Amino acid sequence: MGIFKVENRARTRDLRPIMHAEILQDIAMMHSDALLERAAQGDQKAQGKLVQLWYKRIYNFGFKFFLDHDLAMEVAQKTFISMCRNLPSLQDLGKFKAWLYKIAMNYCREEARRKQNSRSTPFDRVWNLESEQSPRWETSASRIDDPDRQYQRNEIADILHTALMAINEDQRAVVIMKEYEGLKFREIAEVLNISENTVKSRMYYGLESLKRILEKKNINKDTINYEL
Amino acid sequence: MSYKPDEGALIAYLYGELDGAAREKVERYLAGSEDARRELEALKAVRDVMGLVRDKEVIAPPLVIDNRTRFLNFSSPVLRTALAIAASLVLLMVVGKLTGVQVTASGNELKLTFGTPRPAQETPSLDVMDVQSIVDARLASNNAALQEEWKKSQEAFNANVRESLEKNSSQIDRLVTKAAAASEEQISAYVSTLQAENLRMIKDYYKMTSEDQKEQLEQLLVDFAKYLQQQREDDLLILQARLNDLQQNTDMYRQETEQILASIISNASVPVIRN
Repeated sequence: MGIFKVENRARTRDLRPIMHAEILQDIAMMHSDALLERAAQGDQKAQGKLVQLWYKRIYNFGFKFFLDHDLAMEVAQKTFISMCRNLPSLQDLGKFKAWLYKIAMNYCREEARRKQNSRSTPFDRVWNLESEQSPRWETSASRIDDPDRQYQRNEIADILHTALMAINEDQRAVVIMKEYEGLKFREIAEVLNISENTVKSRMYYGLESLKRILEKKNINKDTINYEL
Repeated sequence: MSYKPDEGALIAYLYGELDGAAREKVERYLAGSEDARRELEALKAVRDVMGLVRDKEVIAPPLVIDNRTRFLNFSSPVLRTALAIAASLVLLMVVGKLTGVQVTASGNELKLTFGTPRPAQETPSLDVMDVQSIVDARLASNNAALQEEWKKSQEAFNANVRESLEKNSSQIDRLVTKAAAASEEQISAYVSTLQAENLRMIKDYYKMTSEDQKEQLEQLLVDFAKYLQQQREDDLLILQARLNDLQQNTDMYRQETEQILASIISNASVPVIRN
């Protein structure tokens, strides 16, 4: 059992450098001032490149916020349409990241309000009930992995996503922006238009809530390593 | 040692967003507090677990932005309102044309007419003297009518008063003559019947009250006799109880005396051993 654990840890460690490299590359490109300037001047090619660079981030932000692919796509589409239209009026291009997340956050709130007001259920969700409940191996991103391990990973990801959805909406927004999008507390405060202390407080209580939920589900690093 | 970081400072430390001095303060506090260290570790563990959620792979769809919509966005509420107002105005103009509405404003008047306007008819005007004479004539005729009416009502009232006075005086006269006709004998007879009746009533009253008094007295005597009897029996019972107590006391004293005597006797019968 011990050897099994060590092996798993080694595998997860192997994945990290690739991910970091990707993120570093992305960040380097995202902060390319020349690209931003060209996009701000109305260069459609530069705008398209900007959309390509940021689409994954904004989509995943929306997905983690709603745990819903369609809503995440909707938010991402609207955010980038708004970005392309309003980028020329952005005064300080250094604040582009916070500005973009602010747009995305506003659309998330709009969609959340709409979702709360509408009591209807999309037809495909009623129709595909069986597929919703079935394992999600068919939608897995990586096909080179062991299917069994992929299934377990998806299962854990589902549980963790559900835990994220269980916390308060304000806390969830802060946790996602900090933990997954890597924004500074100052930037999150700018996005949400609140004080930095409030952001930190929401982050603290968000993590506390997640801790309680994970404890209730008996999920910790050891149990996850064992599962993987 | 009194410094205790708030949750904001702790979380900033956890994410490495504290500057030198503040970070050192938190580190010193953590070094001295086992509980705080454990709390921070727990939060770190939550971060580690939540960090396992990976991003979903997604390909950005082609984004077509129609710049024309920036100028003609029909979903804009301002544009919608403006269009609604314009449509209403057009509708009003069409209806006005069909019905032949004409609006004219001259001096202090505003005219709204449908179809061709008709010329206003000339009306004969009256001057001040004419109006005064009309008013005077109307007032004179009204006064005459009022006086006539007043006179009529006064006459009717007088006639009514006279008639009622005559009626009342005749009634009073009739009563007086009737009273005077009654003789002295009749009055005395009436008085004697009244006296006899009063006498009978008083006799009956006395009789009834004497009987009641007698009954009450008898009842009182009986009750008193019963009370006395009860009192005597109670006294006898008390006396009996006292006697019994006395008897018991006497018996008790006697027994005690006997016991004392018996003990004295038994003590006296024991031989005294002398050295």
